[in-house]
Amino acid sequence: MRALLIEDEGELAALVASAAHGIGLAVDAVESLEDARAALAAVEYDLVVLDLGLPDGDGVSLLRDLRAGGNPVPVLVLTARDGRDDRVAGLDAGADDYVLKPFHMAELLARLKALLRRPRGPLAMRLEVGNVFFDTVHRRVEVAGRPIVLARRELALLELLMRRAGRVLTREAIEEHLYGFEEEVGPNATEVNVHRVRKKLAAAGANAEIHTLRGVGYLMEGPGS
Amino acid sequence: MSRRTPSLVARLAWRLAAIFLLAIAAAAGGVAWKGVRAIDSLRDQALQAQARDVERHLAVGVDGALRLDLPPALEVAYASSGGAYLYAVLDAEGRVVQASSPEAADLLADHLPGGPDPAFFRIEPAGAAGPVYGYVTRARGARIAVAQGRLHDDVLADSLVEEFLEVGLWWTVPVAVIALWVGTMTLRTSLAPLTRLSAQAGAIGPGTADVRLPEAGLPREVQPLVAAVNRALDRLKQAYEHQRRFTADAAHELRTPLAVLTARIDALDGPPVEGLRRDVDRMNRLVGQMLRVARLDAAPLDVTRPVDLRQVAVEAISAVAPLAVRERRELVLAGEPGPVWIDGDAPALAVALVNLLENALVHTSPGTGVRVELEWDGTLRVIDEGPGIPPDEREGVFRRFGRGRGTRGPGAGLGLAIVMETARAHGGTVEVGDRPGGGAVFTLRLGPARQVPTC
Repeated sequence: MRALLIEDEGELAALVASAAHGIGLAVDAVESLEDARAALAAVEYDLVVLDLGLPDGDGVSLLRDLRAGGNPVPVLVLTARDGRDDRVAGLDAGADDYVLKPFHMAELLARLKALLRRPRGPLAMRLEVGNVFFDTVHRRVEVAGRPIVLARRELALLELLMRRAGRVLTREAIEEHLYGFEEEVGPNATEVNVHRVRKKLAAAGANAEIHTLRGVGYLMEGPGS
Repeated sequence: MSRRTPSLVARLAWRLAAIFLLAIAAAAGGVAWKGVRAIDSLRDQALQAQARDVERHLAVGVDGALRLDLPPALEVAYASSGGAYLYAVLDAEGRVVQASSPEAADLLADHLPGGPDPAFFRIEPAGAAGPVYGYVTRARGARIAVAQGRLHDDVLADSLVEEFLEVGLWWTVPVAVIALWVGTMTLRTSLAPLTRLSAQAGAIGPGTADVRLPEAGLPREVQPLVAAVNRALDRLKQAYEHQRRFTADAAHELRTPLAVLTARIDALDGPPVEGLRRDVDRMNRLVGQMLRVARLDAAPLDVTRPVDLRQVAVEAISAVAPLAVRERRELVLAGEPGPVWIDGDAPALAVALVNLLENALVHTSPGTGVRVELEWDGTLRVIDEGPGIPPDEREGVFRRFGRGRGTRGPGAGLGLAIVMETARAHGGTVEVGDRPGGGAVFTLRLGPARQVPTC
């Protein structure tokens, strides 16, 4: 997969590019909006990492142009500015995520992976958290190499949790995804589902865990992440 | 409006009303005074005419005796006046020759002024209702005295004033009322734009620094004030802009080298790297918090937007959740299950709550839980199961660089200060107390809650 890194701080760009290479991303690094526009016109990227403060303008304008042109490429905004307005402007303009400098590389890589996991068209996708694998095309789950059987709704729940691995998924978001509008959602329906998935994963020897944040939602994490 | 700053309209109304009352009173007084003077001169003329009437019918007989032959009509008039009209004719020796009645004879004979010249006089007979006015003159060797009693000039003046008021009030009262109404309405309509301006000015905050007060449609007297206010707003906005730009630049300049440093350390391996990583984390936190404090100082928060505190709590908990679950900590959001709306700045509130959560996670043992409770009135509680904070250190923890809980942990000593300043910017408070059974309770009161969001 190929990513475009737009970052005017050369040293940082080199460090990010080398780390991204480690997770299987080929990175093209550019230092200005002009170069970025040229690169985007020439190559179809799977991911864009965009610094907002660039020597020849504001990254938000590039983002806005991308979205106005119908380009759905996932964009992670990387910036030293944490002005509240900046964040809103960035996300409103169509950024998919936002990482504030300074950051730990592990955090950035996790966010990049999460963005790549997002469903975009008919892409064959293989989700991975710890020793849990999810084949989104064939709807199959493997734990430590052995397949396990999950009900339809349990599969949907696990897919959601794995796509958002390392981050909190609110109960409202789960209910929204798992149940249709006309469906009556019992107060414990999600809880019961999570409980079942958790039990099946544990029984199969999974080293990834689904944590409960009571009153908020759930968070799935692999070991040592 | 308070008593010390009375309304213009009320002041104008009172003063106009006072002027009208004074004018009416002065006019009535003038009429009364003139009336009394007119009555006086009228009475004098009447007395003289009365005396002439008597004189005309006075004759000296061949025997030299005085004879008065009043026509019957006059006799009847005197007799039927009930003592209101009197006369007496006295001879040279002062003896009463003839009088309208014996009482008149006695009264006039006793009280006539001496001297040969015609004169007016006034008698206050005992037991009478009022004074008797008289006139004495000399004719054919006799003295003729005439008088009018009973008619009370004060009463006359009163009736004149009464009549004036009756007639005068017909037009003065409506004129006064109309003038008052026109005056107050003029003021009110002229000042109505000011009420609108006040509402507009009240809505100007850090987030709406571009709004200016409209000068069109205002009374000329008020325009300079509004223009001056607008110029002041321009200067304030410039100052805000300047500060904001400075803190943004400072943030960028500080964070970029830190980002490079952090990335470089992350790329290293080996045991010494852990220490470096902790150091750079601490530096990153400190810089982040100092920049936040600087921004709070530079530009006040815009706390006018509707904020769902439950959403803020969910965001804050989500932000610290990865750290918490890694340490096997339980994070719980309890209390109101639905939204709790207040007016505020959502990102700033989320940062404040994250600070409280991080504070709780850092200062308590792994394995213990941290609980956030949300109440319907806009109160958030962060409850931990740690050692708590001794009462004498409680105030200190909210001071900048005031590290009430010892030097343990990565805190820069600014997190709780940011919480307090955020609370204060929302007109709220933060305080720390004990959890029954051990632990600290940080209470962030941000109410009052609002019923419905406006957008």
